[in-house]
Parts: sequence; structure tokens; C-alpha cells
Amino acid sequence: MIDEGPGSFQGGQGGQVVTGSLGMVTKPQQDEGQRAQYSMPGILHFLQTEWARFEMERSQWEVERAELQARIAFLQGERKGQENLKQDLVRRIKMLEFALKQERAKYHKLKYGSDFSQEDIKPPIFEKKPEDEIIETERVNSPNSNASWRQGRQLLRQYLQEIGYTDTIIDVRSARVRNLLGLQPRTDNDGEGAQPALVNGEGLNKRSIDMGKARQGKKGPASLMEGALMDSEASVLATFDFLASEGVADDEDENLSDENEDGMAADDEAEERLEKSRPKIKIAGIESMAGMEDVDAEEALAEFDFLVNEASESGEGAGEARSHGDSPDWAKKDPNEEWGVDQQLISKLKEEYKKDRKGKKASVPGSAPGQFSGGSSRKRIEEDSIEAAIGVGLGELADLTVNNDADPMNYDISAPKEVFRKTWNAKYTLRSHFDGVRALAFHPEEPVLITGSEDHTLKLWNLQKTVPAKKAASLDVEPVYTFRAHVGSVLCLAVSPSGEQCYSGGVDATIRCWNIPNSNIDPYDSFDTNVLADTMIAHTDAVWGLSIHPSKMQLLSCSADGTVRLWSPGSKSPLLNTFTVDNEDGVPTAVDFVRCDPSQMVASYTSSNTYLFDIETSKEIVKLETKQNSESTINNQINRVVNHPTLPVSITAHEDRHIRFFDMNTGKMIHSMVAHLDAVTSLAVDPNGLYLLSGSHDCSIRLWNLDSKTCVQEITAHRKKFDESIHDVAFHPTKQYLASAGADALAKVFV
Amino acid sequence: MKMATDNSAVIRRNRPGAKAEMWCNWPVESFEEMDSTLAVQQFIQQTIRNDFSNIEAILTPPDGQDEGVWKYEHLRQFCMELNGLAVKLQGECNPETCTQMTATEQWIFLCAAHKTPKECPAIDYTRHTLDGAACLLNSNKYFPSRVSIKESSVAKLGSVCRRVYRIFSHAYFHHRTLFDEYENETALCKRFTSFVMKYSLMSKDNLIVPILEDQQALEGESEA
Repeated sequence: MIDEGPGSFQGGQGGQVVTGSLGMVTKPQQDEGQRAQYSMPGILHFLQTEWARFEMERSQWEVERAELQARIAFLQGERKGQENLKQDLVRRIKMLEFALKQERAKYHKLKYGSDFSQEDIKPPIFEKKPEDEIIETERVNSPNSNASWRQGRQLLRQYLQEIGYTDTIIDVRSARVRNLLGLQPRTDNDGEGAQPALVNGEGLNKRSIDMGKARQGKKGPASLMEGALMDSEASVLATFDFLASEGVADDEDENLSDENEDGMAADDEAEERLEKSRPKIKIAGIESMAGMEDVDAEEALAEFDFLVNEASESGEGAGEARSHGDSPDWAKKDPNEEWGVDQQLISKLKEEYKKDRKGKKASVPGSAPGQFSGGSSRKRIEEDSIEAAIGVGLGELADLTVNNDADPMNYDISAPKEVFRKTWNAKYTLRSHFDGVRALAFHPEEPVLITGSEDHTLKLWNLQKTVPAKKAASLDVEPVYTFRAHVGSVLCLAVSPSGEQCYSGGVDATIRCWNIPNSNIDPYDSFDTNVLADTMIAHTDAVWGLSIHPSKMQLLSCSADGTVRLWSPGSKSPLLNTFTVDNEDGVPTAVDFVRCDPSQMVASYTSSNTYLFDIETSKEIVKLETKQNSESTINNQINRVVNHPTLPVSITAHEDRHIRFFDMNTGKMIHSMVAHLDAVTSLAVDPNGLYLLSGSHDCSIRLWNLDSKTCVQEITAHRKKFDESIHDVAFHPTKQYLASAGADALAKVFV
Repeated sequence: MKMATDNSAVIRRNRPGAKAEMWCNWPVESFEEMDSTLAVQQFIQQTIRNDFSNIEAILTPPDGQDEGVWKYEHLRQFCMELNGLAVKLQGECNPETCTQMTATEQWIFLCAAHKTPKECPAIDYTRHTLDGAACLLNSNKYFPSRVSIKESSVAKLGSVCRRVYRIFSHAYFHHRTLFDEYENETALCKRFTSFVMKYSLMSKDNLIVPILEDQQALEGESEA
């Protein structure tokens, strides 16, 4: 085209060139500045062609620009759709979390009759984003801006028709966006589901041509709402199912004792809730869309928002729902003067629209008034209906308020304390032992642990070798190696600081030294006799406790024979020393090196005495004041003693449900607390010395802040066998794992 | 102990420091009073502890006990106690002398723990079979609960029985002193044989260790 312009110009001037050159010959000087060869018609022609060219190019740019803008709008709509989807999912997650917490609290209450104290249960507070969106939309929808908005739309539509952008494309687009939002009703109600899209599309098609058809557009959304209603009802039902099964699953996983009863309870409750929500739907007409939000209040809320949007869209006769929020930006920019726009047509449209609205108002009183009186009133109505719905159908979720005062300060409250401290969740279930797991120990670096059980075996587990489990929440791990040599229950376990050896003590009075096989070994490899490196025999009764020196190859053991012994595993005569206490009628139950001074060790006794020994001199240095002027007759033995990794503090776990803290230098008690509902069996301090983990026969493990001595998390982890439940707990020395060992033959790892 | 109800002050617990002889040495608790989900295991272990040789008592389920769970828990107990036999075999049965898993000359058993069944030495066969049984019986897929067991999973118990029985038969035919010693301590093979016969988990032809009196009688007849 660029070539063509000048070309035609020259061609057109063909005859004059001759005259021009002739004239040039005759008056070369005189006419030089004037360019006499350019005749008036020639110039005009040139200008015309140039003008035509520019006009053409301009229209092309226009086309291009509009195309790109349409693309932008589409992408923005898509983004918005994804965001909505994300928000919806986040809401669902929060709801489920909350419901789970409620269930737990209820269970806890039922079981112990006390309130679930250590973790405040707050209903999740959701971001108010959707509300903001509504306000934005409403600003656009309010009569004033609405005119320009409609004008813009009309223009665009005309324009798109001109360039052959058919309505079907727009329909496809809107359908796709709706699909993205997950609103499009699917499968369950095929007839219902297919119809709305069709009717809606039809309304859209006819809209620009025939205004009378706008009514049909209204019909579309009505059935769409119906479809969405069915859809969301189904999803509510699904959520109930999920909640019910969650109840059971939780029960199984968390080892709550009455499996069936509790599962049934959850089921019943879900049904009860359902029944509450049903009649609501029946009476309340379209408003009942808000009424559905029983458990799934927030989800339904989102849907409600969406439906309201849809309704307003349909009033305008526009089916193109999702690009709505964004498109005004560019639609408004569409300059009217570019094409002659019939203002009368626009006002006609406006009237049509208002009429439409009025008709709608009659039929949909719940949502219509807001369209006229501005954002606030609709918001209020929405809020009211939601609150009503919550009040009626929500039961214990009633205190879940939807705050419409979009206060920016509220935004972050949804994740209360989790931001500041880690919450541990069961991730791996280690099932393969046939009887209670008595002891466990982590590898110093790798995600590997070893368990010792009453089934006489030890097992090696690699947490990176998992078996996909039925429930996605936790992974099953199969052991990579089984250590067999004990001829009685394995009671205690220690892993060397190098991670190459481990030691186990058992009822058979032996201490076994094992070379830990590679954690990637084939579980069904051939038998290697070198795995059992040594058997240390000197104790004459069950070995109940082991502790390994943090740097030297030294091992402490304590036994029901009344002695504590120091070993040097691997040497020819491994037994280095034997410690006993004069005038002590109890037997040692647990032993631990003093971490800040490994030349000392602490041993606790069944008599509830605890002594600090100097290993060199094998003399007791201090007797900790663990023995209270007690309620005498009752057995108040100490089940475990551990030392703080950096401070001279000993921590003891007592049969009388207490955990007590002692200053090793003075032997004085620093702190004492009732830590569990039953005997405390096991303790572990995290490698940084900030948290204490305790396990108890009350089936729970608890995590304590060592600074404030407050419980920061409780996890119900294992079931009871006879009157025993949890035998051991452990922290991984370097990784974010903790583990519990239970009488139910399971070990669990939390992350 | 505050948790203990008034009518039973007994707390059945192996506390740290307990002597080996006091291990699980607590008063018998009736099955009705066991309220834990592991009641069946508790009951079986308690009956065994009372008198391991009283096989009839051990194999008599409490009234109304679901048979699937009863069989399952017994099999768990067998596999667990077979660890003891495996420990003994580890000391005596080495891959050089027992290169294959055999009992009588009739069969060589292939180890099913591998992708393609392998001719493992007897000690490996023993360990692999016990490890495999431990994984299967603890599998969340087949045995997700210990209070109710799917019918389809009950069917798995038979094959576990068949495989672990070969450990008895190998020990009996190749390590007889060891087998007798262990049998004296536990009567495990006798109990196992009675168990699989009572619940028809294995065909009688496969029960080649003559441990029960009627088995021995049959043997005598056929020889005569």
C-alpha cells in the first residue's frame, strides 16, 4: 500500500510529466521553487490517496487495538476467575480445619469433661475480598456509570460484528470462564446444566438485535441459579460426606478409642445438619441460596455473590459474566465519537434495562433493591440473609460471623498463631510391628529412624521410602530392615552420634550392638550376620534405659537389677563401670548423660529418687529433690529423666502425671506441673532446647514451650493396649521431625 | 492412677524398672472388661501367658467374637512368636548348609518376597517370609482396622499361614533339636497346627510336621 500510493501518483501524472519537463526546459530558474510540475488535481489526488491510506491504516490499528483489548479483558477475566477459585478453595480449607477443630474439641470435652484449653478455637475469619468486588461492581452498575458501560458494550458488539467476531465466540468465552469458576453445573443434572448455558447464550445472541429478548436473558440466569443451587447443594452434601468420613478417618488416625461410636456420631451430626438446611432451601426461594450455607457457609457465600453478579448481568442482558469486573476500564475508554453512536438507542437501552430491573425486583425481591439504592443496601441484605441462614442452620458454627465492614485489619487474622510457631501434623505412620513399640530413635542426620518393640524386633525405617496410603493425609512407610536377636521385648534404644551403630536393651537383660544397614538396602536382601556387631551381657535383669555419650564411644545403661553401667561398645571388655547407690531400695528406670557436662550423668529410680553421678569417680554428687514429701503409699516412680541440651536442668516424667524441672547444681526443683491426664512415660527435648515433648498413657503427646512451661500443642497419637498407650517420643536431632511410639504397635512421625 | 476406676484399682502396665519376671504379670482381666480396640490381642496374649500349652483355651474365642478378627489377631501372634524361632535359626541355619528352603525332599520353596520368586537360602526365606507377613498383616490397604476385617482380606490369611508353616517344617526336618527346644518353650507349632485345622486355613496334606496326636496316629497307620 505504501508503494502503491506514490506509484499511482506518478502514474496519474504521467501526461503532466511531459509538460512539466517541457516547462522546465523553458523556464528552469523561475519555476524551480514553485514546482510547477505539481498540478492542482495531481496534489489533490495525492492527498486523497494518502488520506485513504491513512484512514485504512488507522482502521487497521483500531482493529488490532480492539482485538488486543478484548484479549486483555479475557485474560483479566480468566485471572479473576482463577482468583475466585483460589479464594473459594482457601475458604473450604479453613472451614474444614475449623470443623475438624470443633470435632476434636467436642471429642476432648466428651472424653475428659474439660474444655480443650491449650488451643483457642476460633472460627476462621475470611478475607473480605468478595465484598470489595461487589462494591466495585456495583459502582459500575449504578445508573450513572451504567449508561456509559452499556454504550461501550454496544459499541464493542457492533464493532466485533463488523470484524466478524461472532457472538458464538463470546459465548464460548463466557462459558469457558464460567467453567473455570466451576459454576457450570455438570453431570448430575445434565438437562438442567445444559439448559442455562444455552438459554443464556441465546439471550446474548439476540440481545443486540432485539431488546425484547432481554427477558429471555433473565430466564437463563434463573435456571442457571437453579442449576447452581443444585450444584452447590450437591457440593454441600459432598462436604458432609467428607466431614463424616473425616470424622472416621480422624478417629482412626488419631486413635480415639471408640471408633465406631464416634464415626457414627459424626455421621449422625452431618445428617442432622443436612436436615436443618433442607427446609431452608425450600422456603426461601432464591434467598435460600444464602440459606444453604450450612457448614459450607463461605462456599455458598461465594456462589451467592456470583449469582448476584449473574443476576445483574442478565438484567443488562449480558451473559459475559466474568470479564465484567474488569472490562469497564477499557469499555469506558471507548470513545463515543469514533463511531457515530445513537444516543437515543442508548437511552432506550437504559429504559429497557430499568424496566427489566423492575420486573426483576418483583420476582427477585432479595437481590433486586440493591441494584437501585446502591451498594450498601444490597450488602446489607446479603449480610442479613447470611446471618439468618447461619443462625438457623449453623448450630455450633453460629459464631462464625461474616463481617462486612471490610476492615483491612481483619485480613490477616485468619491464620492466628500458626505464623509464629510450627504446628506439627502426623505425616508418616510406621506399621509393621506386631506389638507395642517401646522405643524409638532417629538417625542423627538422615530422615531415618529405628524402633524397638515388644515383638522382640527392631525395625529400620527410611521416611523417604513411602508407600502411597489410602488417605492422602498420612503416608505409610514400610521398614527397610528388621533386627532380630532379642529373645524378649526390646525396651530401649540409642543411636550413635555417627549414625552407624545403634544399641538396644531388652527384657532379656542383654544390650545388643548393631551396625545399621544402609537405609536404601533392599528389604529382602540376604541375611548379613555382621549387622549384629556385639552382645553386651552383664546386667542380670531387664535393661530399661540407655544413653549415648555425645562424642565418646560410651554408653550408659540401667537395669531392673538395680545397677547403672557404663560401656565402651566395640572394645574387648566393654563394661567400664558399674554404679549403684547405697541405701537405695528402688531400681533405676532411666539414665541420661548431662549434656552440658558429659562427665556427669543423671539416673532416676522407681523410688522417685534422682541422682547426679560423676562418671569418673562413680560417686553421686547431688540428689535431686525429686522425691516429694509424697502422698506416700502411691507409686510415684519416675519413668524418664532427660537433661537439657545446654542448661544444667534435669527434667523428670512421673507416674503421678507430673513433669518436674530441677537445677542440677543445687538439686532444687525449678518447676512442677501436672502435664497429662495419666502417667507421663517419656520426654524429649528438641535439639535447640526450646521445646519439650512428652508422651503419656493418656494417649496424647504434648509439646511444651520450655520458656513459658506452657503446652503449645497436643496430639492424640495412639490407642491403648491394657493401660498403656505411649511409650516413647523423640525429636530428630537435625531435621524437622518428631515421633511417637505406641502400645498399639504403631509409630508415628510428625512434621 | 487417678484414672483408674474404683472397682478395678489394678493398672496393667509394665513400668520402667520392672523386673523381667514381672513382665505382664498382672491379674487376669475378663474380655468383657477390656474396652480397648486391641482387646482381642490382649485377650489372646493373656490366655497364652496363663498357660501356653492349653491350646484349646487359647483357640477358644470369647462369645460373639468376630471370626475374621479372631483369626487375624492369632496370625499376628503366631508371626510375632515365630520371630523367636527365627532368632534361634539365625544362630544355626546358615546359607552354606541350608542353601534352599526345604522340608522333605519333595519340595523346594521359592521365596515370594521378590518380584520373581527366588530360591532363597532357608534363613533368608524365613526372614523374608516373616518380614513380608509383617508388612501384609499391617498393611493399611488390606487390614486398615483391627476391629473389623474385610472378607476379601480374610482370604489373605490362608496364604500367610501356608508360607509361615514352612518355617516350622524346615526347622523340624533340618534343625530338630532347635525345633524341639522351641516347641517345649512355646508349643507354637502345635498351636499353629491346631489353629489352621480348626479354621481350615490349610489343607491337611500340607501339614507335614507330625505334632498333634491324631496326626501322629494317622502317620502310624499309614506306616503300619
